[in-house]
Amino acid sequence: MRLLQLWAFDFCQLLFMNTSDSEEDSYNERSALVQSESPTIPSYNQDHDMSLPQETDSKRRRPVSSGLDEPGPVERERASTPDGEEEELTLKYGAKHVIMLFIPVTLCMVVVVATIKSVSFYTEKSSQRLIYTPFEEDPNSVGQRLLNSFLNTIVMISVIVVMTIILVVLYKYRCYKFIHGWLILSSLMLLFWFSFMYLGEVFKTYNVAMDYPTLVMIIWNFGVVGMICIHWKGPLRLQQAYLIVISALMALIFIKYLPEWSAWVILGAISIYDLIAVLCPKGPLRMLVETAQERNEPIFPALIYSSAMVWMVGMADSSNPGSGESFTIIYKYFFPQDNEMLWVKLGLGDFIFYSVLVGKAAATGGDWNTTLACFVAILIGLCLTLLLLAIFKKALPALPISITFGLVFYFSTDNLVRPFMDSLAAHQYYI
Amino acid sequence: MNLERIPNEEKLSLCRRYYLGGFAFLPFLWLVNVLWFFREAFLKPTYTEQLQIKSYVKKSALGLIVWVAVLTTWITIFQHFRAQWGEVGDYLSFTIPLGTA
Repeated sequence: MRLLQLWAFDFCQLLFMNTSDSEEDSYNERSALVQSESPTIPSYNQDHDMSLPQETDSKRRRPVSSGLDEPGPVERERASTPDGEEEELTLKYGAKHVIMLFIPVTLCMVVVVATIKSVSFYTEKSSQRLIYTPFEEDPNSVGQRLLNSFLNTIVMISVIVVMTIILVVLYKYRCYKFIHGWLILSSLMLLFWFSFMYLGEVFKTYNVAMDYPTLVMIIWNFGVVGMICIHWKGPLRLQQAYLIVISALMALIFIKYLPEWSAWVILGAISIYDLIAVLCPKGPLRMLVETAQERNEPIFPALIYSSAMVWMVGMADSSNPGSGESFTIIYKYFFPQDNEMLWVKLGLGDFIFYSVLVGKAAATGGDWNTTLACFVAILIGLCLTLLLLAIFKKALPALPISITFGLVFYFSTDNLVRPFMDSLAAHQYYI
Repeated sequence: MNLERIPNEEKLSLCRRYYLGGFAFLPFLWLVNVLWFFREAFLKPTYTEQLQIKSYVKKSALGLIVWVAVLTTWITIFQHFRAQWGEVGDYLSFTIPLGTA
C-alpha cells in the first residue's frame, strides 16, 4: 500500500482591510479561511511529503502526518522503483481529481465574471482604497503610476509575509485559540458583511425592492449555516459551495478595491512569492508543514477545498488552524484495501487569485476573448501544476504557473489578438 | 462530512442538533437537515436510531413549510402594498426600485 501525501497549504491573502468600512480592524482572510474545517485545499506547500507507509494499515487512515515521519529518501526510492501499476493508478486517480478540481475553480470564476459583467458596482472606481495599497495611481503620468503600483505591491507583499510569519509563530507556539478566533472573525466578516454588500448591489442592479425583515432573514440564514458548514460539520457539497462563494466574494472585493495597475503587479508578485515560500527551505509555509507533521496533525483543515470527501479518523476532530499564504497543494492518496481515496487539495487563496485574474480580465479587458483566454490559461496552468505534482509528489505552489500563463494570455490577447480580431471582423474575413 | 462513515449515534446527535438549531430563525438549517438526512431516514434499512432521525426530519420539514408560508405571505404583502404604504414602506425598504411609483 502506498500512501502518498503531498501537503499543500494555501494561505489566502491574510489581510484585507477595507477602508470603506471605516473600521480599522483587519481580518485575516487566510486565518478565516484556514479556520474553516472544510478541508480546503491547502495551498501548495513547499514541502511535499510523500509518505509511503509500508504497512497497509487500513486503520491507519490518518492524515498525512502519520506517514510523514517516515524517512523521506527511503520512500522516495521505493517510489522510484518502477511500480508500474501503482504509478499508473496514481496518475489515473490524480487525473480524476484534477478534473474534480476544475469544477470548483471554474464555478468560482464563473460567479466572479457573471457578477462583474452584470453588477456595475464592482467595476466602478471608488476613491477608497485598502490601506494595503496606500499609493494612489495617477492616471496622468505613466512613470509615476508604475512606480506607485510597485510601491503598493511591496506594501502588500510585506504585509502578507508578516502575517504568514505571525501565523507560523502562533502555530509553533500552539496558540490555537488565537488563530481559531482570528479565523472565525474573518469568516464572520466574509459571510455576513460582504454578502450583505453583495446582495445590496445585486438588488440595486436588478431594481428589486427588498425589505429589511426579509433581507435580515436571508443574510442571517446564509451566514449562520455557512459558519456551521465551514467551521463545524455539514454536508460536503454545501461546504464546497460555501467555500466557492466566499472565494468569489473575496475576489470581488479585491477587484473592486485594488487599483488597476497595482492589481496586475500584485498578482505577479504573489506568484513569485508563492514560488519562493513554497520551495525554499526556510519558507514560513514549509516550516508550518513541518511543524504540523512533527505533531502529527492535519494541517489547516480550513481554507482547503478537497475534491474528495474522505473523512479520516485523525482528521475529524482536529482543530488545526491553518492559513495558507502560499498555495500549496495537498495531495493525499490513500490506498487502503477497501477504500481508495485520493485527495487533491487546493488552497482557497488559489481560488481567489485565479478569480481575481479572470475577473480583472473581464472588467478591464475588451471583450469575452480576453476573459476566455485567461480562463483557459489558468486551467492549463492548473493541469500542469497537478502534473508536476504527480511527478514530483511534493507540495507545490499552485499560483506561479497559472498566474504566469494568465498574465501572458491577458496582455497578449488584449494587445495583439483583439485588434487582430477586430480588424478581421471589420473586413469580414473569416478564419 | 460523509454520513456513511460516522456511527449511528453521531448521526442522530447531528440530526438533532440541526433540528434544534433551526429554531433560531433558521429555516435554511431545517432545509439542510431534511435534504441531508432524507436518505438516512427513509431510504436506508432500519436501524435503531432511524426512528428518531425520521421524526426529526419530519419535524424539520414541518417547520420549514411553516416558515416558507410565512415568508411568502410577507413578501407578497410587502411587494404588493409597498408603494401604498408611503413612508412606512420606505422605512422598511432596503432597496427602493427606481423609476416606479
